[in-house]
Amino acid sequence: MPPRRLEPGYHDGESDSDVDIFDDFGASAKSKGKGKGKAIDRGKKEKGKGTSKEQPYAWEASYTRSWDTVQEDEAGSLQGAVEDLIARGRRRRLLAPAAAIRRTIIRHLILLLDLSSAMMDRDMRPTRFDLMLQYAREFVTEWFDQNPLGQIGVVGMRAGIGERLGEMTGNPQEVLKAISERHKLEPTGEPSLQNAIDMARSSTSHLPTHSSREILIIFGSLTTCDPGNIHETLAECVKDRIRISVVALAAEMKICRELCDKTGGQFGVALNEGHFKDLLFELIPPPAQRATAPNARGGATAPADLMMMGFPTRLPDTSPPSLCVCHSKLKSEGFLCPRCGAKVCDVPTDCDICGLMIVSSPHLARSYHHLFPVKTYQAVTDLDDTPNPSSSCHGCARPFKNAPQQMAGSSGEGMSPLGRYRCPDCHNDFCPECDVFVHDVVHCCPGCGK
Amino acid sequence: MPSVEHNPDSVTQSEWSPHILLTFLQSQSQNALTRLYQRPSSCLSIFRLLRPLERQLIMNILWLESATPLSTMSAWVTQEGKKPYSDSLSTLARLHIIPNSTTKLALNATFRASLRQAITGGGTTGSFGVPAEPDPQHSPPDIATLDAYALERWETILHYMVSSGTGQHPTKPSQEVLFLLQRSGLMTRVHGGVLQITSSGFQFLLHDPHAQLWELLLQFLHMAEERQMDLVEVLSFLLMLSTMELGREYSTENLSPTQSAMLADLRNYGLVWQHSTSARQFCPSRLATTLTSSSPPLPTSRSTGGGSHDQGFIVLETNYRLYAYTDNPLQIAVLNLFVNLKSRFPNLVVGAITRESVKKALANGITADQIISYLTTHAHPQMRKNKPLLPVTVQDQIRLWELEKNRLKSQEGYLYTAFASQADYEYVLNYAKQLDVVLWDNPTKRCFFGSLDGHANIRGFIERRSAGIA
Amino acid sequence: MDRASHLSVVVDLSPNHWYLSSTRTQQNARPLSLKSFLSQLLVFLNSHIACKDENTLAVFGALPGRSVMLHSSTNESSGNPFEMADADTYRPFKILDAEVMQTIARHVETLGPSDIKKPVELVGALSKSLCYINRITTASSTQSNEQTAALDPRILILSVSPDQSSSYIPIMNSIFAAQKLKVTIDICKVYGSESVFLQQAAHLTGGSYLHLERADALLQYLTMSFLPPPSIRQLLSVPTQDKIDFRAACFCHKRIVDIGFVCSVCLSIFCQPVPVCSTCRTKFPIKTLQRLNAARPTVATPATTPTVQTALSLPSSNSIKGTNVNGSQSTVQNGSR
Repeated sequence: MPPRRLEPGYHDGESDSDVDIFDDFGASAKSKGKGKGKAIDRGKKEKGKGTSKEQPYAWEASYTRSWDTVQEDEAGSLQGAVEDLIARGRRRRLLAPAAAIRRTIIRHLILLLDLSSAMMDRDMRPTRFDLMLQYAREFVTEWFDQNPLGQIGVVGMRAGIGERLGEMTGNPQEVLKAISERHKLEPTGEPSLQNAIDMARSSTSHLPTHSSREILIIFGSLTTCDPGNIHETLAECVKDRIRISVVALAAEMKICRELCDKTGGQFGVALNEGHFKDLLFELIPPPAQRATAPNARGGATAPADLMMMGFPTRLPDTSPPSLCVCHSKLKSEGFLCPRCGAKVCDVPTDCDICGLMIVSSPHLARSYHHLFPVKTYQAVTDLDDTPNPSSSCHGCARPFKNAPQQMAGSSGEGMSPLGRYRCPDCHNDFCPECDVFVHDVVHCCPGCGK
Repeated sequence: MPSVEHNPDSVTQSEWSPHILLTFLQSQSQNALTRLYQRPSSCLSIFRLLRPLERQLIMNILWLESATPLSTMSAWVTQEGKKPYSDSLSTLARLHIIPNSTTKLALNATFRASLRQAITGGGTTGSFGVPAEPDPQHSPPDIATLDAYALERWETILHYMVSSGTGQHPTKPSQEVLFLLQRSGLMTRVHGGVLQITSSGFQFLLHDPHAQLWELLLQFLHMAEERQMDLVEVLSFLLMLSTMELGREYSTENLSPTQSAMLADLRNYGLVWQHSTSARQFCPSRLATTLTSSSPPLPTSRSTGGGSHDQGFIVLETNYRLYAYTDNPLQIAVLNLFVNLKSRFPNLVVGAITRESVKKALANGITADQIISYLTTHAHPQMRKNKPLLPVTVQDQIRLWELEKNRLKSQEGYLYTAFASQADYEYVLNYAKQLDVVLWDNPTKRCFFGSLDGHANIRGFIERRSAGIA
Repeated sequence: MDRASHLSVVVDLSPNHWYLSSTRTQQNARPLSLKSFLSQLLVFLNSHIACKDENTLAVFGALPGRSVMLHSSTNESSGNPFEMADADTYRPFKILDAEVMQTIARHVETLGPSDIKKPVELVGALSKSLCYINRITTASSTQSNEQTAALDPRILILSVSPDQSSSYIPIMNSIFAAQKLKVTIDICKVYGSESVFLQQAAHLTGGSYLHLERADALLQYLTMSFLPPPSIRQLLSVPTQDKIDFRAACFCHKRIVDIGFVCSVCLSIFCQPVPVCSTCRTKFPIKTLQRLNAARPTVATPATTPTVQTALSLPSSNSIKGTNVNGSQSTVQNGSR
């Protein structure tokens, strides 16, 4: 049979490759070979000598990122660094006002993505562009989770013009689809802030007054090439009460800073991948409404308003199939608009027939935690004034440490040396993990049930 | 380059294959099983060894007094559950837990009564072990001691196996253990009476400790049968051990003579601890108490590695190089089966997977899949971030090396030649092809080769045909 | 396929409603006393542990005005080990049963007369169980051990008391937290009317909701519907509920509304346009009020709504019955609104 004749050759090739592997391997032990084997050796040497001036391969150094290394304490433990992170998170939460504040619940956001050639820079891994897409996807998912009544549209800045990538929609899947096709978004040319903002502004112009209008710009370029005076566009945005936030990937630009300052948005320059994500995710919780801004405009259009909303009837999977008005598809499940009886596939949405805003009660409920947050727990510093302290966490029943723990450095501020955090209302003690979990996820105190 | 077939089904199949003990139980008589089911602890342990769906089926009808119509239960089964459901029912029928019936589902009355008793508690069977009175002279061992003891016993056995025939002489396990190893075919006595590990022994070494333990125990059961021990008593003692609590002493008083005799064997395997051979108390070790669970049967603090076993210790690179962070002689010895070890450091062994080393392992009867699964289960946590876990090149290459072994396949059969005419030849060949017995054919030479089982038919066919012509 | 699962059980221990449940009345033809309920529950809990050695369990009790953890399989029992020894019972069962019963007894005894009137702390118990699940899941994921990390946690709520409207927001918050943690919430309504909040909990987390129709068959219901972990539920279906009311009640009259008026600041729902939000004291512009009032009569009159629906001959809500999935017995009453 023909294949058999070939086999000896195949066989030889096979054993050759083995020898290669083997040789390479043997050589590396004598530190004569190249590649990984040597790298290990050198790594050892460097550690011994401390910082050595002589670095044979400079490209290898680019892998070590100074911000990735967490500082160890004298004993070589990372405990201090980790606690520092937790403490920082706590302090940030303490800064937030605990009382119920007005927040914009019905949000409309235009995501403005920089698709200029500057986004192909590799200072963030793998590239600025890929990282932006990845974080944008996570951002959209999380944003809809926290703002179920909001809508997002996507605009790209590429080759000097603004490109509408996705219409304003309340369906996360559609937004994700708009930014999922990487090859359609390939960065090229110069960005134009003015053109893109104008396009974003025009797509928010029809919105009702009570909803917020926001533009989030992820900007990687250091230039913008605009057809006219961008300050006029800025003035228009201020007039339309559009809030612009910018996350810059390169460096601070005067115009970006001004866009944010004038419209009340946030500006930040990402230091690294993690910080980029932090900056982006800081924009997820609904912004507090600024009491001053509307008053300054004379209060003619106060943002508060009464909205008419429909609560639909949900059709079960077993109901007879009928056509939906949104995709004209025959399916059994869906929601009936209470005003016109039209069937839509998904809520929340605006009814395609009568324009009524259709929401289901869980969607409203999902926003309540922004309005009625759990009170910040207080760190317990000593147990002298508590008659009989509980022995375990009120939430997860984890036993508390008895002896106070030494805090590493200055990070102890706002942290309890006993690992206890007390609810100001029900005076129950919680462990640090539950403290974070209750405030970030559950939004309801296990002790007082509020 | 030949493509490597990777059959995903085989993975799910093995996941779904019943526990090794259950296969053994299925071969037992209904009478023996019913006797076994009389003890609540046995029922509970067997129940735990069943697959999840089987457990749920038992639970669904456990509390019903009357039999359930089969149609009622199958109404709950979803579309994709149809096949697992019928599989489960047949397994349960073979275990005589749910007797075969075309209309009704009902539990074996003995099994039902015992499992109910196990779950609700009470009764007077004492099947969960009678705790011993605290002995003022000998305080019970703490859990660490027990773990160390079990580990030492178990590794002695494995280490003895792996280093047999290498010229080293580690500590020998007891005679009974050696006998068992020999009986089970894991080791064999070569010329001069030296025990040498067999190919199934090599395969055994690559299994996880849980499977190894059951494999040995099953051999023990087979041996018990031959030694005229009462199998039900042996089994129920093992199953009782699995429901006992670690670090507690139990009294030997309620044990039957067979079971007392077993204690000595179990001590040798490290399943049971006793402070002296004649002690009236015994302590089950972790090996025993985890028999029916999937948690690791050996303590996590394996050797001085500090939990390295539990975490995995092997780093495999795409260049076939392998780093094993271990100083455990057993693990090193096992790795040595298929890795060309190069250098050894206090806590690290470095080697490479080469064609020769894998060929050696294959010659010993170890399969490529076993090597890969060993590497997978013992991969270092750092490796677990990779997807796929092992470098694909290495996996494929190991499989290819195994395929090299399988170039020639022999099959018995008959060569049919000397046909009178081309038409004759084609007529017979057609017939044989319809039977699907043709292995090879050559029309120019008018001959074909048929497999053994088709011979009678083909021969009859040719005879009938020649008779017809004549 | 076969992996350990965690079950958290929240037991509603409202003395008032258990008293009602145990008395025989016209509506309550099959009374169920707390005692027989607990003994059946313990058998169910034992069954969960029996299924797999690694299965974990936590039991929480919701008492009037407080919530307590009754048992958790990770906490070491404090009792004297030799007292507990018993040759006839599997030891984990013994510990579990004793601990649950003792803790319940201890807490019920300390209930004062003033406490009885308070509603049960279902929210507290639910959020505690979430904290506990958060604790065990984060603990196991840091160990990087796949065996333990892969437990699918579930919560089973056994409820007897009716919904309290004041706990709507915290319950919803807990449900969303459960969704985030990928925790399934199963509901068994042992006594009393349907609970709209808990129906939503089961629906939103993919759990099953069961209204106990025959209280004497509690154990059978529990084992059939709530014992199987999610992987088994794909093969053996469990009763689910298909028709859930997603309409909201207005804050002003507690009426269930089809079309409501919502304050854009605090999301309070009103059944008619109001000039000032009663929750956050926001004043609404007059123009909006006029506009909405003008739009209202054509839509909000209940009498016209059914005719619109029939005219369009779309499947109206009234024609849809709660449907049985594979012969399950959870028929939903249409009159739940």
